[in-house]
Amino acid sequence: MGVSGAALGPRGHEPVSARIDPDRRRLTRVGLLGLPALLFVAIFLLYPLALLIETSFHAKTGAWSLEQYQRIATTPVYGLVLWKTAWVAGLVTLIDFAVGYPFAVALTRARGWWRLVLLAAVLMPFWTNLLVRTYGWIVVLHPSGLLNTLLLRLGLISEPIELVQNTPGVLIGMTQIMLPYMVLPIAAQIEKMDLRLLQAARSLGASAPRTFWHVYFPLTLPGVFAGALVTLVLSLGFFVIPALLGGRRDVLIAQLIDFNLTKVLNWELAAALGTILLVVTMGLFLAAQRWFRLDSLWTEAR
Amino acid sequence: MAGPTTRSGTTAPTRRTLLKAATASVIAAPLPLRFARAAEGEVVYATWGGSWADAMRKAWFEPFTQQTGIKVRTIDGPDYGKIRAMVKASNTEWDVAEVNPDFQWIGPREGLVEKLDFSVIPTDQLIKGENLLTDYSLPEAFWSRVIAYNTKKFPGDNHPHNFAEFWDTAKFPGKRVIYSKANGGALEAALLADGVAADKLYPLDVDRALKKLDKIKDNVLWYETNAQAVQFMQDEQGVLGLVADGRAKFIQDKGAPVAIEYNQSQLTWTSYVVIKGAPNKANAMKLLAFMTSLDGQKAIGMAYTYGLVTPKAYDMLPPGRAEQLSNGPQQQGKTVLMNEKWWGDNLEKTQEKLDAWRLT
Repeated sequence: MGVSGAALGPRGHEPVSARIDPDRRRLTRVGLLGLPALLFVAIFLLYPLALLIETSFHAKTGAWSLEQYQRIATTPVYGLVLWKTAWVAGLVTLIDFAVGYPFAVALTRARGWWRLVLLAAVLMPFWTNLLVRTYGWIVVLHPSGLLNTLLLRLGLISEPIELVQNTPGVLIGMTQIMLPYMVLPIAAQIEKMDLRLLQAARSLGASAPRTFWHVYFPLTLPGVFAGALVTLVLSLGFFVIPALLGGRRDVLIAQLIDFNLTKVLNWELAAALGTILLVVTMGLFLAAQRWFRLDSLWTEAR
Repeated sequence: MAGPTTRSGTTAPTRRTLLKAATASVIAAPLPLRFARAAEGEVVYATWGGSWADAMRKAWFEPFTQQTGIKVRTIDGPDYGKIRAMVKASNTEWDVAEVNPDFQWIGPREGLVEKLDFSVIPTDQLIKGENLLTDYSLPEAFWSRVIAYNTKKFPGDNHPHNFAEFWDTAKFPGKRVIYSKANGGALEAALLADGVAADKLYPLDVDRALKKLDKIKDNVLWYETNAQAVQFMQDEQGVLGLVADGRAKFIQDKGAPVAIEYNQSQLTWTSYVVIKGAPNKANAMKLLAFMTSLDGQKAIGMAYTYGLVTPKAYDMLPPGRAEQLSNGPQQQGKTVLMNEKWWGDNLEKTQEKLDAWRLT
């Protein structure tokens, strides 16, 4: 900020560079304010990530090598697990969108107590311990659990349905915890919407569905994409829920990473799996940023 | 940390070595404090915790402290990853860790454990057996995976007596509760079910075992933690299980209709290791000697139901107690000893195959 004096010269006499100075000053100030956060990120995120990536390019002997990536490419299990992980994360994102979008609309329409109740309902999973919540699902979902008993009593089913220790169980557990990440960005986007646009559409003769699909829905899209991205990315790294609610076909990437880290101490392979996950995540983020203008979520529409 | 000071004698001190020495002395500054603590006498013991740790405290740690003045401090969770992290950072905080037997080979291979001092630890009373004792490890306790069955579903003698029957889903319908890690007994069980003789199990024919697992694949509840196995057997989602004997007894004690078949029980053990760079190495050796002594074994045999590592100690127990323990008289001649060395060498590749099988 010591350079600020230069920007105070009389109008019209400044060179071009001086005219952009207010901007630069703002940047400097923002930079200073952001410095602690940047340092924090550098020390606690970037440095470990660099270490992770470096580790992944070593053989067990310590020499530089592509061994880990070759092994991942040539051993069937890694492709299968990565595919399964992507599939589960994608499905969780889709279900959360299907459930979360109407919920977000309801949340923004609700007033007073209702709003609080709806908000509490979606945030509730955050207030419970992960293990307690997961075991809770087993109690609710297992063959002689709450849900099956209820359905049997009501005569809706004649035999218990298998809802846990299989992929549906994993999807139920993950969808619940990820729902707020989908609902809140969409709700925030709806709140920002200029409602006069809807009135304009209706007054120009658009039907309600047409207004929804051509005006309302497109205006919420940045929220949808932000929610979907966060849900998808976080869903790629789940460990406890698939381990406890999953069945034979539910081996996800985080379980393999944990096994290599803690059971056989192959940190190089674990690092390579982590790096692949990181690259996929970064790829998704960059794609979202490029095609869906993710940043419009936190900047005003221009 | 000792590196720079031992090397400095060979060359004239340059700026760099001086800097290094300065750094070393700064880092080493807390050391006198640590030595002071060590002199007072302490052993840091990493344990799986729970009721087992309570039993050890009563049977071993408190009498040991009374006898020697050396205190034992326990830390929960002897995670291999943590051990590697602290050794790599030259910051070993634990002395003794109780580990699965595969670590008897993983540990030395990764340079994470100290050689044991057998001049302090007598081994003449120890149970004899291949792989039970290595230069780096001492057996801690025996346990086994047993066939557990629901007595409501399979009353009286109408229950699986071996793994061939365990595999018979027509005669014994229902879900089987099996551990999801490759070294959790599933493959051995499959091969025994397929008619492989107990002494011809290793090296495991993994592909043959997986083919046999195909036959029951829709009837298995895979468990990731023992707590889950308990849950499955207790809420009767699973009617048969290949579970740790201690957990099966725990379920029984809770009043669930579960009984144990000891035939073909898979016998394995847990081991002690001393972590590389252990701050109280000498005390650790003394503690190991105390725990594996006949008196130490008798005491733990009264406090917990794991199997003893000195056969003679079973005779020192009051009548009826020995049958309560793992590998006691009730189990003799019915066990299959796991080849943990094979697992130490093959766990990684075998887990890859099992996981691929699960996903296809």
